[in-house]
Amino acid sequence: MSISRETEGAQLRSSGSGVVILIAGVVLGVAAVVLTARRGVTGWPFALTFGVLIAVGEMVQFRVDRTRNRAPIATSAALGYCLLCGPQVAVPPDIAQAVAVAAVATAIGVLPRILAGLWWDAVVSCRRLLSVGAAAVVFAAIAPDHLSWNGSASHAVPLGGAMLLAVSSAAALDAIVGAGQTTEHYNKPFPAALRDELGVTARIGMAMAISGMLLAAGTSIAGLWAPPLVLVPLLLTQFAFRRYSSAQRTYRATVRSMARSTEIAGFSSPGQNARTAALAVAIGNDLGLTPARMEALEYAALLSGVGQLALADPSPGGASLLRTREERQRAAEIGAAVIERSGVLDHVAEIVRHSNDPYRHGRANNSAIPVESGIVNVALAYEQLVGEGSGQSPDKAMESIGLGIGAEYDPVVVESLRRIVGRGFRF
Amino acid sequence: MTGTGDRPRRHLTPAFRRAGLRLFVSVVATAALGVCVVVAFTLSDYLTVFGLCFLVLFGSALRSSHGPAQGASLGSIVLMAVYVIAGPAAAVVVAGVGSLVQARRVPLMKRAFNSGQRILSAAGGALAFVAVDGPVGESALHDVPRAILAVTLTGIAYQLVNAVLLSGVLWLERGSTVVRAFLREVVVATALPMLGYDYLGLVMAFMWLGGLGLIAGILTLVPLVVARWALSQDAAERAAQAATMRAFIQVIETKDLYTRGHSERVSEGVGMLGRQLHLPADRQQALEHAGLLHDVGKVGVPTSIIRKPGRLDDSEMDAIRLHPARGVELIGNIPFLEEVKSAVLHHHEKYDGTGYPAGLSGTNIPYFARIIGIVDAFDSLTSTRSYRPARTTEETVAILLQDRYTHFDPELVDAFVEVIGREGWKPAAAEQPAPNADLRTPIDHDDLSLGSGGGATGSAAGPA
Repeated sequence: MSISRETEGAQLRSSGSGVVILIAGVVLGVAAVVLTARRGVTGWPFALTFGVLIAVGEMVQFRVDRTRNRAPIATSAALGYCLLCGPQVAVPPDIAQAVAVAAVATAIGVLPRILAGLWWDAVVSCRRLLSVGAAAVVFAAIAPDHLSWNGSASHAVPLGGAMLLAVSSAAALDAIVGAGQTTEHYNKPFPAALRDELGVTARIGMAMAISGMLLAAGTSIAGLWAPPLVLVPLLLTQFAFRRYSSAQRTYRATVRSMARSTEIAGFSSPGQNARTAALAVAIGNDLGLTPARMEALEYAALLSGVGQLALADPSPGGASLLRTREERQRAAEIGAAVIERSGVLDHVAEIVRHSNDPYRHGRANNSAIPVESGIVNVALAYEQLVGEGSGQSPDKAMESIGLGIGAEYDPVVVESLRRIVGRGFRF
Repeated sequence: MTGTGDRPRRHLTPAFRRAGLRLFVSVVATAALGVCVVVAFTLSDYLTVFGLCFLVLFGSALRSSHGPAQGASLGSIVLMAVYVIAGPAAAVVVAGVGSLVQARRVPLMKRAFNSGQRILSAAGGALAFVAVDGPVGESALHDVPRAILAVTLTGIAYQLVNAVLLSGVLWLERGSTVVRAFLREVVVATALPMLGYDYLGLVMAFMWLGGLGLIAGILTLVPLVVARWALSQDAAERAAQAATMRAFIQVIETKDLYTRGHSERVSEGVGMLGRQLHLPADRQQALEHAGLLHDVGKVGVPTSIIRKPGRLDDSEMDAIRLHPARGVELIGNIPFLEEVKSAVLHHHEKYDGTGYPAGLSGTNIPYFARIIGIVDAFDSLTSTRSYRPARTTEETVAILLQDRYTHFDPELVDAFVEVIGREGWKPAAAEQPAPNADLRTPIDHDDLSLGSGGGATGSAAGPA
């Protein structure tokens, strides 16, 4: 099962925040390793066991989408290692050692991936290291030294609370950093990006964090017998999310391929659907849509031309601006009916159905029509003007789209397009 | 719980089986009730047992059909923890309480059996736990290896009793074939994951005894609930993908009124053949996908050619012959198994090497492509075309058998004929337009080489 480059899309690298995260992570890791080397490692067996878990977890990391990868086992193990304490762990690892073990194990774990030429992202690994550092600091700060899992609730409940706070702060830091990166890459408003990140954190993030707590508490109570006993939630989380993300990728690739059928049939020029979708996604990000709506928007932009398949003959160059409005609306209606037939993309069908309605006949007076329809409408128009072959300059295209503001195009969307083009958006 | 009746037993009459089933269930339920009551009198720490009952009810309510140990409710994790936290007697009682939560609309007899089965299984586990002198409470923290041993044996005993009881009821209801399938596909396949769940129960017990109490139970269940959510999403994504592909194929088929539903029937047909050939699950699904998508490249063939009533000239034939390559171009980016793409590309190859696009012959033709070639031709022949009415299944089977070695892989033809003979074939619906009486030339691209006599009279290029 190979995934070609095209489906993965362009990778966003060497961005400002990425460099900052990378430097911060490396500095933190190196400092922790140096400090630990000077002081000596306490509790070798625990360090080794958790180190192996982290390294293996890094090795079997998987990819969620274009920009994100996950290593649930490594994350749980690294968090768990920070939260160890008595009675079984005589000298719990200090902050420096917790970070150092995570850093060294991460480096060892990704080495085989680099050698095998598999996808790996240094920024993501550094993000994880920073979060682990945060968890270690918080736990060391709030968990009093004399507490241990001795069987009394007066010790266990404060310890559990401290663990929960520590993993929560790790998750919060990761969400903030992730939202910052999203804002930088996609110009998504920060609050919207943070909301999306927290939504993800509430699911897989929570599973990873709680598994880490199980590992830590189990090991503190039962010693090194515990890590193998906690295998089930670790493996199940890995297995479930890996499968889920692969199904998601397959589905997205399927929709993209289906969209390309209009190109193969000669109804649109090569890459036209992809360009329209890229612009629609950029506008959606700029307007801060939720992930579910973003997905529907992308699919709608990709599939907006599918209705043409049922029309008799291809229009030359796929210039849908050249044909009459009635024809375009009929194609949109047919396309919506086609998409609806799948039974799972009703929202997408709704967007496509109104994607050729002029603003003053549509959304201006009918708030039930989604803003996504207006986005697709504008994206189609702009792509027609600037996209390959027609080659107008972005400024000229903005000018002619500006003439249709309020009548043809949704003002909010055109404003957003102006910002995006102003920031230098190019196909 | 009624006898299915599709497999008549030689030595058990239906009436005898029904009576046996009733007797078996009553014995199980009565024994379970007795055990539960006797054991309940030995309990002492009611507060702990009450908390554990709450947890097991909570865990059992989170039932799901996803996950490696399918259908295993999270309640079984809690149950294993109960042995270590509060002792084997409490485990039996908690199992009884947990079994009160069952899927809605289960008949009373089945409910009684389910409860009895769980209580007796828990009792079997309890015997094993007592036999190895499993540590209960605080002492478990000081003797971890013994606790692990006890939990391992308890888990195995629980599963054994469970398997025996279920086999009994399955045998009475449906016969020994089903029991063998159950033992192979359920008991053996889930034994290891179940043991993993048991160990997680032990970790939960450690945390409970370490002082967390009820919180330990909730912490243990959270990651599993999240993982199950992900698995349910995964299933939804797969279903959505299948639905989307079907909808899309239907659009492409609107180009030709005569091929409506063809791709879905081919997908179904190759599915039947794939099951006959015992393909593993992932290849079976890939084969069905390939069957659905084999003609997807037709979207690149102008509608005027596809609908043209009459003989096609060479350039039009060339346009049609491009459709497998177009199809691969279209689906190339979807991370299917590689076999799907090669099947789409080569589904018009023929066994004697006269097909297109590559002129492959014999077993050089990819396996899936050979399968699809047979079903594709079969469905074409049993459907109405503009130039001829539909053939009957018998006529078509005769044509296939005649064309073994020339067009098709003989072994696969035999397998397919066997499946068709056993399961029948649902030919294209009658709503297809009637054939056009003026036309006499075979023009459908799937039909090309199958001349009117049904033999290998056509060339690879079809009617030239």
